[in-house]
Amino acid sequence: MKTRISQLVDGELEASSAGELIAQACRPGEAADTWCVYHLIGDALRGARPMPADFAERIASRIAQEPTVLAPGRIAPSPRAWFPMAVAASLAAVALVGWVAFGPLREPAMAPQAKVESVPVPEAIAAAVPIPPEANDYLLAHQAYSPRVSLQGMAPYVRSVASER
Amino acid sequence: MSAEALAPARAVVLCAAVWAAAAQAQSEDALALMRRIHDATQKLSYRGTFVYQHGARSETSRITRFVDPDGDIERVEVLDGVPRELVRTRDVVRCYLPESRVVKIERRTSDRSFPALLPERVGALARHYNIVLGETSRIAGYDCRAVLLSPRDNLRYGYRLYADAKSGMLLKAVTVDAAGQRIEQFTFTQLAIGGVTREMVRARHAATKWRIEDAEASPARLDGWSLSAELPGFRKVVELRRRMGDAKPVGQLVYSDGLAAVSVFIEPAEARQSLGAGASGSGALHVYSRLIENFRVTVVGEAPAASVQRIANAVEYRRPQ
Repeated sequence: MKTRISQLVDGELEASSAGELIAQACRPGEAADTWCVYHLIGDALRGARPMPADFAERIASRIAQEPTVLAPGRIAPSPRAWFPMAVAASLAAVALVGWVAFGPLREPAMAPQAKVESVPVPEAIAAAVPIPPEANDYLLAHQAYSPRVSLQGMAPYVRSVASER
Repeated sequence: MSAEALAPARAVVLCAAVWAAAAQAQSEDALALMRRIHDATQKLSYRGTFVYQHGARSETSRITRFVDPDGDIERVEVLDGVPRELVRTRDVVRCYLPESRVVKIERRTSDRSFPALLPERVGALARHYNIVLGETSRIAGYDCRAVLLSPRDNLRYGYRLYADAKSGMLLKAVTVDAAGQRIEQFTFTQLAIGGVTREMVRARHAATKWRIEDAEASPARLDGWSLSAELPGFRKVVELRRRMGDAKPVGQLVYSDGLAAVSVFIEPAEARQSLGAGASGSGALHVYSRLIENFRVTVVGEAPAASVQRIANAVEYRRPQ
């Protein structure tokens, strides 16, 4: 997370993945602290004078005094709707069992393509090779966890039991 | 603090408000239709025939859904080629393959961890898709309205969904690529809503003495395995260990943007008759497989080949400390 916040501070994070991180940094916690620390480091490196300690509070109170802008809000799910998800997430977390012995005997020499995020997506590579029937097990296993089933029922499953492709 | 100093902050607030207003105006009716499709999918009993097309191929299947207070049951029978049948009860999917006399069993680990698209989360899809109402058209005798989901980037596909205006039942689903070209399509050619009995969704095969391949999936932490960079918009929704075929345990991580999903399978390379390394694809599904030391990583997803490959290349293993 720290790496990503550093990228965000430096303006190197893609806009699409920045939103979630900004939301995190807006709440008190490790992300918010990291955000402040990186800015402080940046200011120190640039030789900027530190802001007064209550700078953020004063800005917040000035904004609070601004006239209210009457505009439709973003479509946000109600807190009630999220609550069961949070409970589910915590229950699921309890159910998790570590599976430590599952990995290569030695660590791969280097993480392949650590900079994947900044690589532009090439034009869709023409998949000239049809999916072989040996992959059916993978397709079936994947299909069971596709949210698409919520809109379409079992129909998409026919893709995972194809007899020939 | 001067008023000028606050101008940038005001501009940001204004931009956010304008963006939010635009997002809302473009999609409120369309989101309502999406929710109706979702409700119809959960609540209706129906029986019909649909055609699945991708490339020059097409395959006809029959689908029957029975809704009951004790839980719904759904059955799909592929009518072309080798007979295949799928029956889903509440959280178990059984796949009957009569030629090889095998039943494959997939269980949702629990409803809680199932990454369903919930009605209250349909709105969140607007982050990744531009969602608008489309044309009206008649499909299998039903007057349908389309909802169009155009991706906001080239990491995912677009969708055109056609639903019965009266019931919300989905009659046609088309997956399109960035150029708007059709990649695959499901279309009902005949559909009757209601009038389904329990008998109609019973598996045709008794399957006694068939080999049973049970996935036995259970939530697990795959310590050490992760993505060096996630694909923007795709979040991890499921992490589990499971069986596949009759091979050794396989790890599965599922990433989703709320509609499209990509699975990462991790297994010892010698565990099975392995799939060759590299890319393959059929319709909207793509597969990419590679080795990390003595482990095979296979990524399967309903996403463009480049997205699937990008996730596969981002998979890494770091020994847990």
